[in-house]
Amino acid sequence: MRRSDLGEFEEVVLLAVAALSPKAYSVVIAEELERETGNSVSTGAVHAALQRLEQKGYVSSFLGEATAERGGRRKRLFTVSALGGRILQDVRAVRNRLWERIDSHLLLDWQ
Amino acid sequence: MNQPPRLADRLLNWFCAPHLREEVLGDLHERYALRVERVGEARARWRYWREVLAYVRPSMIRRQPTDNEYSIHFLLGPDMLRNYFKIAFRNFWQNKSFSAINILGLALGLTCSLLIFLWVRDELSVDRYHANGPQLYRLMERKFSDGKRTAGPGTPWPISMELPKKFPEVVRAAGFAWGGSLTFSVNNKVNKEKGNWAGADWFKMFSVPLVAGTPETALKTPNSLAISRKLAENYFDSPQAAIGKAIQIDHNEAYQVTAVFENLPQNTNDQYDFLLPWVDFEKRNGWAKDWGNQGPRTFLQLRPDTDLAAFQAKIKNFLWGYNKEIDPKNLASYNIELFIQPFEDVYLHSETENGEIAGGRIGYVRLFSIVAVFILLIACINFMNLATARSAKRAKEVGIRKVVGAERSRLIAQFIGEAMLLTFIAVVVALLLIALLLPGFNELTGKAIAMPFGELNFVLALVGIVAITGILAGSYPALFLSSLQPVRVLKGALKFRPGATRFRQGLVVVQFVISMLLIIGTFVVYRQVNFIQTTNLGFDRENLIYIPLEGGLSKKYTVLKQELMTMPGIQSISHMDMKPTFIAQSTGDADWTGKDPTIKIQFSHTGVGYDMEKVLKTRLLAGRDFSRAYATDSAAYIINEQAARRIGYKNPIGQSLTFWGKQGTIIGVVQDFHFQSLHDPIQPLIIRLNETDLYGNLLIRTQPGQTKEALASLEAICKQLNPTSPFTYFFADQEYQNMYKSEQVVGELVNYFAFLAIFIACLGLFGLASFTAEQRTKEIGVRKVLGASVFSIVGLLSNDFLKLVVVAIVIASPLAWYAMTKWLQGFAYKEELSWWIFALAGLLAIVIALLTVSFQSVKAALMNPVKSLRSE
Repeated sequence: MRRSDLGEFEEVVLLAVAALSPKAYSVVIAEELERETGNSVSTGAVHAALQRLEQKGYVSSFLGEATAERGGRRKRLFTVSALGGRILQDVRAVRNRLWERIDSHLLLDWQ
Repeated sequence: MNQPPRLADRLLNWFCAPHLREEVLGDLHERYALRVERVGEARARWRYWREVLAYVRPSMIRRQPTDNEYSIHFLLGPDMLRNYFKIAFRNFWQNKSFSAINILGLALGLTCSLLIFLWVRDELSVDRYHANGPQLYRLMERKFSDGKRTAGPGTPWPISMELPKKFPEVVRAAGFAWGGSLTFSVNNKVNKEKGNWAGADWFKMFSVPLVAGTPETALKTPNSLAISRKLAENYFDSPQAAIGKAIQIDHNEAYQVTAVFENLPQNTNDQYDFLLPWVDFEKRNGWAKDWGNQGPRTFLQLRPDTDLAAFQAKIKNFLWGYNKEIDPKNLASYNIELFIQPFEDVYLHSETENGEIAGGRIGYVRLFSIVAVFILLIACINFMNLATARSAKRAKEVGIRKVVGAERSRLIAQFIGEAMLLTFIAVVVALLLIALLLPGFNELTGKAIAMPFGELNFVLALVGIVAITGILAGSYPALFLSSLQPVRVLKGALKFRPGATRFRQGLVVVQFVISMLLIIGTFVVYRQVNFIQTTNLGFDRENLIYIPLEGGLSKKYTVLKQELMTMPGIQSISHMDMKPTFIAQSTGDADWTGKDPTIKIQFSHTGVGYDMEKVLKTRLLAGRDFSRAYATDSAAYIINEQAARRIGYKNPIGQSLTFWGKQGTIIGVVQDFHFQSLHDPIQPLIIRLNETDLYGNLLIRTQPGQTKEALASLEAICKQLNPTSPFTYFFADQEYQNMYKSEQVVGELVNYFAFLAIFIACLGLFGLASFTAEQRTKEIGVRKVLGASVFSIVGLLSNDFLKLVVVAIVIASPLAWYAMTKWLQGFAYKEELSWWIFALAGLLAIVIALLTVSFQSVKAALMNPVKSLRSE
């Protein structure tokens, strides 16, 4: 278990990068998360999370093409690295194992 | 297409790290466009601000570290440093005369300032080495009498024993007399030694370590005696051997050595080689028991938690009831209050005025500190001036450096660094100079200052001086040169704004103001010292010798006088309880008919022998001198003019005067003569005849030009009549000079400092003049070709500088007048300031400046115009 350095928001962002791959960058991730969660998400928060993930080696980045609505500025595109993928799987496995151990009656109660 | 808020973008551009700006702004703009479509422009703008603020986080603000090959590290790397040094030394070398002027000026200024710094440091350290120092106090008396408030350290002898009993705050108290020299004899060794009387707790209060003996027993018994290690080694070979041995004092009583103390450190105000017990003082001075006297000093050690204000209030009226002269119902006519002064302040704040502590040596400490700063300032100004003047030559270098990427801060560092390098060289030169000058300086100031290299503070002070001088001296060229625009400089269009020239002129004015102040100071101090030395004291101090009356001399006075009168070189002989230059005792115990009983007048008084008039050569205004022809003269008094005025008789001769309870008549009025310092006005004086109990000094008037013969006669007689005491004598004029030692030292020092200041200022002026002449070479060439005379060119070049000196004179004169008036206020008798001092000082400054400048301007004016114009 060496995932203790993966925060909740970071995990969501990492998942979003994986889901939107290969066209994942701050704006689309923020938009996606806003849509999925219903809370407002700033690109600044996403950008900072991406920087942290990159530092930890879970994502890699490169500068992409420029577009008109960006005022001719390039965007930084992110992809999940092999390590990042493994970490995501680990997290998921842990969650799944725990989910499976929850009593089915309890699950029914929640619904 | 509508744009996101500009201001927000600007804000982001400001805080966001440059390497992130592109992607961040891109993201923001893209999302803004999405939002405008979705929620409309107004809300999108609002959200935009929030988005921007969400980027305010360290990871976005932190700048990317650069580590390419043109990085900061490179600029401080060994290659660049080597280049800085190389350029610096090349510059020094290329402008040898400028560098020499700079270094010499700075070195002289530093030498001067460092010497003063050492002196001030030494002054501040005097009497500061006692462990109990902060709790030690000197008891002072503030006396109200005769409508005057005076203060002094003289206290009743018994008070040091009384105070600890009455006040719980007083841990210990010790009396301390005024010192004296006594003749010690051990076996065959006979010497005069200087010492004092002190209270029993002396060695417990003051940190004077005992080599042998204990503080408890050192001064306990009436016949105990504490001596210094020096005396112990001199008389008994070792401190341990001295303990318990007997020393005969003044060929009279024997005292037993009970303690040997370490030789006192040089920075001790009151030096003594032996201490006698407090009871012994009373034994020798019968009057001491009387509480009405202002005799020896008293030192107190207070508890650390003492409330000083409350304690001052408690002791204020302590003397009521003890001193019978104070009548609490009639305090207006006479009262004495007690107060205390911190012991550590005593040395520097020893003078009193109107009953309050009023400075003292601290004035000189402050004065010289200011002078030190001023001289250093003059030297720094030189440096700045020459550096700015030459900056035209360095401007190209600055241009190139800037073009290849030097930052302004680097250039500033480079120039300040160069200044510091020069300062460092100057410091080394200054230290060498000080090492050379220190012995002479010590002799002049009467100190034993050594270079305290071992002390961290001194080394830090040196480093501090290098840093401050470097920064100060290098600041203007550094800031000015580094601000130059490379494009303009390299185009060769460097023009000095009038501001720069104005600034330089301002600096020259400051230099000459300071120099003028010092020149005027020198004149005034010199005149005052000269006045002191030549003023007519009212008695003739030339060819006058004192011999202390001691041993058998006082009893054999009549024989001595008879025999001496037959010897060669002697003109006349008398004796006095005091010295004619210093009659210190005074009393209020005098009465006459018609005296206002509410007023107490303090009279100075002394006993003298017959022939006093002849010996002192004072002038009798009325009446006659004491004479053997009148048997009643034992109750006769001679008074001075002041006393006559205060007593108020119309014709004082023959009127009655009661002195010390003894009624007599006034037989003479002597013209006022200075029997005290010229700092103080002449006091009323009563002279009485004393032929019974002689003490004090033998006064001998010698034949002019026969001092040697007279001394030989005196020595022969003294050896014959008083074989056990070493023959000692003093010249009145030398004694008199010694009273004004500090004025003389100040005079001499101010002299040197003024010379140095003007010299350094002239060095700077010389440099500036040569620079101007060099800059105007072409102009002078053209003028000469067109027919200008040498004289007109010299005038042209000198004029600019003369104007500055004149401005300096105008500024300096009132300042100097104010300062010197203040200084002269300390003298009751003085040479008044007059306008010609200022005129002379001004003229001197002009002449010196003119000579300095004209050397260069004449050289420039005499140059062949062909040479100066050919090169284009």
